[in-house]
Amino acid sequence: MGRLNRFRLGKDGRREQASLSRRGFLVTSLGAGVMFGFARPSSANQIFPLDRSLPGDGAFEPTIWCSIAPDGEITVNIIRAEMGQHIGTALARIIADEMEADWSKVRINYVDTDPKWGLMVTGGSWSVWMTWDVFRQAGAATRTAMVEEGARLLGTTPDKCTVANSIVSAGGKQISFGDIVAKGHPSHSFTPEEMAKLPLKPASERRLIGNAELKALDIPAKTNGTAIYGIDAKVEGMLYGRPKMPPTRYGSKVRSVDDTEAKKIKGYVRYLLIDDPSQVVQGWVVVLAESYSAAIRATDALKVEWTPGETIHTSERDIQDRGRELINNKAGGVYIFNDDGVDQAFGSAHTVMDQEYTCASVLHYQLEPTNALAFEKDGVYEIHAGNQWQSLILPTLAKSLQVPESKVILRSYLLGGGFGRRLNGDYMIPAALASKALGGKPVKLILTRSDDMQFDSFRSPSVQRVRMAFDASDKITSMDYQAAAGWPTGVMAEAFMEKGVDGKPYDQFAIAGGDHWYEVGAFRVRALRNDLAEKTFRPGWLRSVSPGWTSWGIECFLDEVAHRQKKDPAQFRLELLTAQGRNKGQAPDSVGGALRQAAVVRRLMEKVNWGKTSLPKDTAIGLATTAGQERGMPTWIGCVAQVHVDRSTGVVTCQKLTIVVDAGTVVDPDGAKAQTEGAALWGLSMVLFENTEIVNGMPVDRNLNTYTPLRIADTPEMDIEFLPSTEKPMGLGEPGTTVVGPAIGNAIFNAVGVRLRHMPVRPADVLRGLQNS
Amino acid sequence: MTTFRLNGREVTVDVPGDTPLLWVIRDEVGLTGTKFGCGIGMCGACTIHIGGRATRSCVTPVSAAEGADITTIEGIDPEGNHPVQQAWREIQVPQCGYCQSGQIMQAVSLLKDYPSPTDEEIDAVMAGSLCRCMTYIRIREAIKKAAATARGDASNG
Amino acid sequence: MIKRIAAAIVGIGVAGGVGFLAYAWYPAIAPVAPPPPSSFSAAQIERGRVLAAGGYCAECHTRTDGKRGVELAGDYKMDTPFGAIFSSNITPDPETGIGHWSEAAFKRAMRKGISRDGTQLFPAFPFDHFTHMTDQDIDDVYAFLMTRAPVHSVKRDNTVGFPFNIRLEQAGWKLLFLHEGPLKNDPAQDAEWNRGAYLAEGLSHCSACHTPRNLMGAEKASAPYDGAPVDNWIAPPLNEHNPTPVVWTEDEYFKYLRFGSAPLHGSAAGPMSPVVHGGLSEMPESDVHAIAHYLAQIDHSATRVSQDPKAIAWAMQASMKDLVGPQVNPNAKLYAGACAACHANAGPQPVEGRPDLALNNALWLDEPTNLFQVILRGIGTTEGISTVSMPSFYHSFSDADLARLAAYLRATRTTLPPWTDLEKKAGEVRKTLPVPPVASSH
Repeated sequence: MGRLNRFRLGKDGRREQASLSRRGFLVTSLGAGVMFGFARPSSANQIFPLDRSLPGDGAFEPTIWCSIAPDGEITVNIIRAEMGQHIGTALARIIADEMEADWSKVRINYVDTDPKWGLMVTGGSWSVWMTWDVFRQAGAATRTAMVEEGARLLGTTPDKCTVANSIVSAGGKQISFGDIVAKGHPSHSFTPEEMAKLPLKPASERRLIGNAELKALDIPAKTNGTAIYGIDAKVEGMLYGRPKMPPTRYGSKVRSVDDTEAKKIKGYVRYLLIDDPSQVVQGWVVVLAESYSAAIRATDALKVEWTPGETIHTSERDIQDRGRELINNKAGGVYIFNDDGVDQAFGSAHTVMDQEYTCASVLHYQLEPTNALAFEKDGVYEIHAGNQWQSLILPTLAKSLQVPESKVILRSYLLGGGFGRRLNGDYMIPAALASKALGGKPVKLILTRSDDMQFDSFRSPSVQRVRMAFDASDKITSMDYQAAAGWPTGVMAEAFMEKGVDGKPYDQFAIAGGDHWYEVGAFRVRALRNDLAEKTFRPGWLRSVSPGWTSWGIECFLDEVAHRQKKDPAQFRLELLTAQGRNKGQAPDSVGGALRQAAVVRRLMEKVNWGKTSLPKDTAIGLATTAGQERGMPTWIGCVAQVHVDRSTGVVTCQKLTIVVDAGTVVDPDGAKAQTEGAALWGLSMVLFENTEIVNGMPVDRNLNTYTPLRIADTPEMDIEFLPSTEKPMGLGEPGTTVVGPAIGNAIFNAVGVRLRHMPVRPADVLRGLQNS
Repeated sequence: MTTFRLNGREVTVDVPGDTPLLWVIRDEVGLTGTKFGCGIGMCGACTIHIGGRATRSCVTPVSAAEGADITTIEGIDPEGNHPVQQAWREIQVPQCGYCQSGQIMQAVSLLKDYPSPTDEEIDAVMAGSLCRCMTYIRIREAIKKAAATARGDASNG
Repeated sequence: MIKRIAAAIVGIGVAGGVGFLAYAWYPAIAPVAPPPPSSFSAAQIERGRVLAAGGYCAECHTRTDGKRGVELAGDYKMDTPFGAIFSSNITPDPETGIGHWSEAAFKRAMRKGISRDGTQLFPAFPFDHFTHMTDQDIDDVYAFLMTRAPVHSVKRDNTVGFPFNIRLEQAGWKLLFLHEGPLKNDPAQDAEWNRGAYLAEGLSHCSACHTPRNLMGAEKASAPYDGAPVDNWIAPPLNEHNPTPVVWTEDEYFKYLRFGSAPLHGSAAGPMSPVVHGGLSEMPESDVHAIAHYLAQIDHSATRVSQDPKAIAWAMQASMKDLVGPQVNPNAKLYAGACAACHANAGPQPVEGRPDLALNNALWLDEPTNLFQVILRGIGTTEGISTVSMPSFYHSFSDADLARLAAYLRATRTTLPPWTDLEKKAGEVRKTLPVPPVASSH
């Protein structure tokens, strides 16, 4: 998995032939934009109100990725969404380091959609990993161009020049990048082949990559109120809109609308029935008003009757039962691995372990409710909103608006939380359609929190069935892993689905993690698509996608096996992390394979004094480890959680999380730590604090009065360590999420002997377990 | 008509008295540093100061602010250099940043009541400020740093 | 504030007999030409202004429902179980106000509850307290009122139906419950106490709300200051039956009555807010001290104050309950998320401006009424602790949420038995708000 980068979106929005190599994609996408000596037009950066405009006439733009102004200021173009990862800073470091730029002159520009950028997506913890090669090459190209022109201006040759801190020096003379642009005429152009051959700096000479002292460029504006998010976007004369939410996600039909009461509200303008040709938004009525406050009031006052969709009575239980039914049916599903000998091994097994693990629905609750500002100007629809996957929603918007894709542009803003919610840009559609209905007049649609939660593209509930076969000597001979859930990629980005060993498409983000790196004999992994889930809601990608819940099955199950075999669970994992066969890894992404995961586990054991601790009664540690998000982009990670279980109440308290990560080269050490802190606490929140349940076709929780995510007092002590590495950087936004749940589940067992197989862990389940044991 | 002082300036608005102060500040006055999160006073993103005390503006009707002295994130320090803001940058607290205006406003208020807060005091007073990026460890650290800075300033001056 | 007094219009069954009729009959006092403002000295008008504030005249003589009326022009709506009563215009408008009232007519109204034309006034007008005022004070109030700008304003008709609309019945009520005449000085008490008593029992009529009423709507002589429901709130007991863990000392009373907040009890919300901010705030500090001094003796606080440090220490422990360390109890989470930022106190004393719920009246009363009122309404900057405000959680919490929050607080922040029927009571209090205080979303 993680082969996303093989694809690029063609002009018609559909994926082009997937036969390009990764390198091919990157170079193609870069090559398309090598525009030397091209004066870059000024444009407004929506995100930070800059005290100066962006470099205008006279700036040198060696590639589409950066430009150098005559005053030496270097602007780096960022096509990723800024949603807390400080991704702009991380990526700018990569290009600036390779270019030998003066960091104090670097600033970042979050761009709007344009076909020249290629695939615009921010998810999967891919950003650094996807940009690593292209930005180093772009940095090298810029440096080369600067040195060549600098040498000419200094009256020497490039080979006699050194470059550092935006200054080209030779023989005691020097000239800055800015002066080179101002006085010279840099115009070297490179073919993609030439770019690929440019020499790159060795890891030992990096100054910005891996530098723990650098501060994130997006942070100052986030401490003084000047940072601009999607919800802050405004244009003259815009109307405010709020939806009246239908009773079901799909299939609700408006029977009648009565706005008698709404008309009494000052500022109410009208309501609109949203008819979406893309069928993404169904049964919506949008209320328009002159202020958002009036829109809130008028929407509450508007009376709408619907004929609800068919899932009006569907419950979480129904969906999980459907998942079980799919798993128990031998037909159907997609095989990700299907080694020879699985059935024989189970058929001839001395013993078989067979367990079911379930995980509840989880809502995103990104703090900025979904919103969008839309209007038409000169025949082009502008959509102003924070978004994580512009390339995905743009064709859908074009379909909704019934205009060519070239007539839709998405303006970038900061995201008040992504966590996967804004990979799905469905919230832009009703804003766009409302604007269209008003002849292109600007409409700012904001969902209130309860609207947002009803419309969430939340994490599907899931059922996992994990089986293992053992021979007479208790040796593992085979493993059979199956998981059923709603498939976000199947629903929203079908073209992005991977193909199984049986040639059938499957959602890698609804099974990844099940395809672990342990040596378990003949291995079968089958993914089941829960159709009832997909009828009931729009399954979403949520921070760490499936590894956030498949790890609950895999890692709890492995502990169960270890205990059954009376082995230490950590040692037991080390025995299985042998890097044989498919688990030996391959360059450049998974060099070392499972041995790196084993190294993480060993370091973790050292850190926590594994096996040698003496903790108070009903207090224990538990371990879990994963390869992060995808086999194609493994971030090796392990976590030890220390918990205390209160036997009288069943309440589990997490006291400490110790985490060790091998993510290859760490570009931004402080940011990496911040991401891992946040990701791990998401993991903790989902196992102990937050979850929802589908009742009558909708998530039952609508706001913080009943939805209870982790808060500051719930935050345990944390110790996070990154293993030093010069391997290619992998992702860090999500892996921390994957390990915490099972580490806690395993710690609970170690503390009080209760094995929990449903996530979240609820005090009542703990109490029941204590009574039964 | 409601009149109040906002970041030291007198402001008069002509909106229905039940309009949440949040939308008055964001849309009528145009200061967007104060954020809309939950709309029910339980996430803290909309926190402002009324009479120097942290208050959730999303559930405060503008009528309740008649004559009030209101401060938003934009007005906590003319240069954006309140010790809490400085600490927030030094510790690199914000991730997505959406909750951080509210966190900072709540933290400033906390330090007025508890100039040298313990973890317990921080947890109790900051309990209403949700951070979905979960920057809590850094929030605790930054509050303590700001407290130390403020104490240092006091003893130096 | 004193609207509940409107309930006191019942007086049926008392009337009867010729003698009674003779008692009940009063002649009209001849109309006079409105006295020119120049007939009153500036000093007298100023004294009258302060007294009118301390008697909260404007509170009940200014329309607030629908639209805000001109001050003192009447038409204030008082809902009673028997129908609505609308207060009269007490500006000196000759036609619709008291322009033709002589000083004697005014004094008779204040002392006996008789209108200029001889009709009986409902005791919604607290003449049973004003009767205790001195002649000089009544004259000063008259001077103040007669020098206001006349406002032509016709009040709406009362909707009190038969037989309660027979004003003659009020005469019987007075026979039983009116103790006419200025309050006598108690030589056993010091001057401050006597001043406090004069104000509290007369002009400022504290017991009108804080003493329960009998079936006839009169204050129960047997239970003075025992607390009573008023306008969908509870006026707490001001005597030793007040259940708060810390006693109401003179200092607490003073801070409460002067600044709207007693650090160890809570702030003046609901009907009590205008008493403090609209009324007593105009009075000299010495008068507010005197009321506090007097009330603190009703409370016998001096004999109980020694328990306070223990109670405060307990409350400070309770205040931090469930706020330290991880918490999964959904009710504790509700409190932590919505309330703790402003109400948690780490001790040793509550921080000024952080009303501590473990000490707060609202949690310790027999019913959750005031707690629900405050949560639903919030407290504006002109109420309670002036300059700060509490938001309205009207749209934030369902009745079920309110119920579990109240149950949780009662269990964790008091030592008293649980409240009952909370969800139902939350709904009842919610219904008393004619419109949501804030147009927030959920």
